[in-house]
Amino acid sequence: MSSDKPMNPLEMLAYIIAKQIEDHEVVYIGTGIPMVAAILAKKTHAPNITFVYESGGQDPEHLEMPWSVGGPMTWRKSPIIMEMAYSFAQAATGLIDKGFLGFAQIDMFGNANTHQIGTDYLNPKVRLTGSGGNNDVSSLVDKLIYVGLQDPNKFLKKVDFITSPGWLEGGESRKKAGLLNDGPVAVITSAGVYDFEPSTKRMRIKTLHPGVSPELAQLASGFELVRPEGEIPVTERPSKEILEILRNEVDPNGLFISMPS
Amino acid sequence: MPGKKIKRDREEAVIFDYNQEALKNLQIEDTSILDRLVDYRQAREERQRKEHYQRDKRMSLKEAVAELVHDGDIWCDGAFGYVKTGLQGYWEILRQGKKNLQAIGSPNTNMSYGIPFGNVKYCHSSYTGAEMRGIDKSFSRNIKSGKVKILSDWSHGLMALGFKAAQLGMPGCFSKQGLGSDMVRFNPYLKVMQNPMSKEDDPVVFVPALCPDVIIIHVNAADKYGNCRFYGPAVNDIAVAAASRRVIITCEEIVSNYDIRYHAKGAQIPFNNIDAVVELPFGAVPGYMPGEYYWMRYFWEKLFLMTQDDETYKAYIKEWILDTKDVNDVIEKAGGIEWIKKSRRRARAAEGNIDPEGVSFVYRLWEKGMDTKDID
Repeated sequence: MSSDKPMNPLEMLAYIIAKQIEDHEVVYIGTGIPMVAAILAKKTHAPNITFVYESGGQDPEHLEMPWSVGGPMTWRKSPIIMEMAYSFAQAATGLIDKGFLGFAQIDMFGNANTHQIGTDYLNPKVRLTGSGGNNDVSSLVDKLIYVGLQDPNKFLKKVDFITSPGWLEGGESRKKAGLLNDGPVAVITSAGVYDFEPSTKRMRIKTLHPGVSPELAQLASGFELVRPEGEIPVTERPSKEILEILRNEVDPNGLFISMPS
Repeated sequence: MPGKKIKRDREEAVIFDYNQEALKNLQIEDTSILDRLVDYRQAREERQRKEHYQRDKRMSLKEAVAELVHDGDIWCDGAFGYVKTGLQGYWEILRQGKKNLQAIGSPNTNMSYGIPFGNVKYCHSSYTGAEMRGIDKSFSRNIKSGKVKILSDWSHGLMALGFKAAQLGMPGCFSKQGLGSDMVRFNPYLKVMQNPMSKEDDPVVFVPALCPDVIIIHVNAADKYGNCRFYGPAVNDIAVAAASRRVIITCEEIVSNYDIRYHAKGAQIPFNNIDAVVELPFGAVPGYMPGEYYWMRYFWEKLFLMTQDDETYKAYIKEWILDTKDVNDVIEKAGGIEWIKKSRRRARAAEGNIDPEGVSFVYRLWEKGMDTKDID
């Protein structure tokens, strides 16, 4: 695929997530865009990162995009394939640097929901997948980053179900609940990059993508976004070279970076 | 099981002290339905009653399922969804019409089959869906209609710890995941409590040992006693083999005891966990089997669209499961020897054992009118 084609929001997402990964980190990777991003990071600025997958695969030799976190691309020539309990335990014992998770809903304190739409557990509007490894990753990894598309139905004052704890009710509440690490450090969406205000733990704009004004980002949120002091920086776009790597080497079949039609 | 005499450590059933808030939220009044999963002492008695020596456990899939899977069982999922899961064994459970099953597992592929068909009435839920292919729409529908009832809600890691505790003979363990989430409000088995070792505030989640009734585990090779060797991810298979009351092994090949002894991998699951050994080549079909074959892309891609409504889904599953008599029929439907050749090549290339050149991993979504030839 040519790099002249205009960049789509998923490609932008993949690039920004990749930028969050530093070289030499050990990262816990879930299905979808985070996989694309981590492979992009490895092929560009972070060649020495180690991938960990919940089904037990670690540090596979990359060939194609995995279609499942249990599929052969997640353990292709892995030096070790761990049992599931042991894989998550690496995060609990302090050996995982970063984790990346998607969400169906996220709230102002970074609590995320992949359980259900609607608050009635016994009769939800839609039942989603449930936790899978999301709760484990959000509870245990050192630094957690959320990734997803942003709209007012996904960015809510209160999520319908807390699958993955963020900063809970803000302030000191996460610490009080006994969770090991700090809450999420960033939320990356189709509109911008967010962090959390240090004392209240409310979601705060960090950068906005090219063409997105604070007003537009606010329109795509069901709660009030905290604005930082001063001017809001524009998120850096991927270069032509990076887009080329993304399209030709990372996900040449467009499995994850093609927009759904 | 041969009637070995064992001394029971108690005469009365244990009364369990469940998480009351979760019982209320889930509207579970009669808690006896929850008991067997955490009754590790009763599970131990069942294992004590078995013959423990290395004996020949070979039988057919039909016999194994008829004898070892009972109506009302807590049926555990193996491996990871469409990777290394003993799906042909699951299909036989459906063909034999086993009823009122409780499904458990991380993930919960057994639910995607058993619930629409009405075999699974209850579940211990951790993850139901198809990752990048989206949610299982039939699961959502059946929760809402009350066709299936969730008895407990888990994360993968919490459930994995419950199996691990059971494998290691511990009544339970403590975890740091689950805290602050709503799952502990919808799981009668989980309890947030203070770490008994700490004088400072240190909340932990107590996870009880989980003992399912039965699991079918698919492996690459086993000897006739049940010593198992496999490639790819174990996920929870090693733990659940020890945690379950009854274990059926299906394998690509029954090998000699020498072959297990002199292979670098040795046995990953020991014979004494196992009740039946079934030689069942292609037993993970239509899923992926490490070292052997790629997933049946036609089957799955069409399946994802068929979950849109219950009737279409049931018709599709009927066509593939109830109207086939065994795995041979299933492979014939998918293209026979041609499918085997392509699928084996694709798996070998995916795992880095042959040159991937000329092997296609491209995905095509199923569209109306497409045939198995269009998506191999």
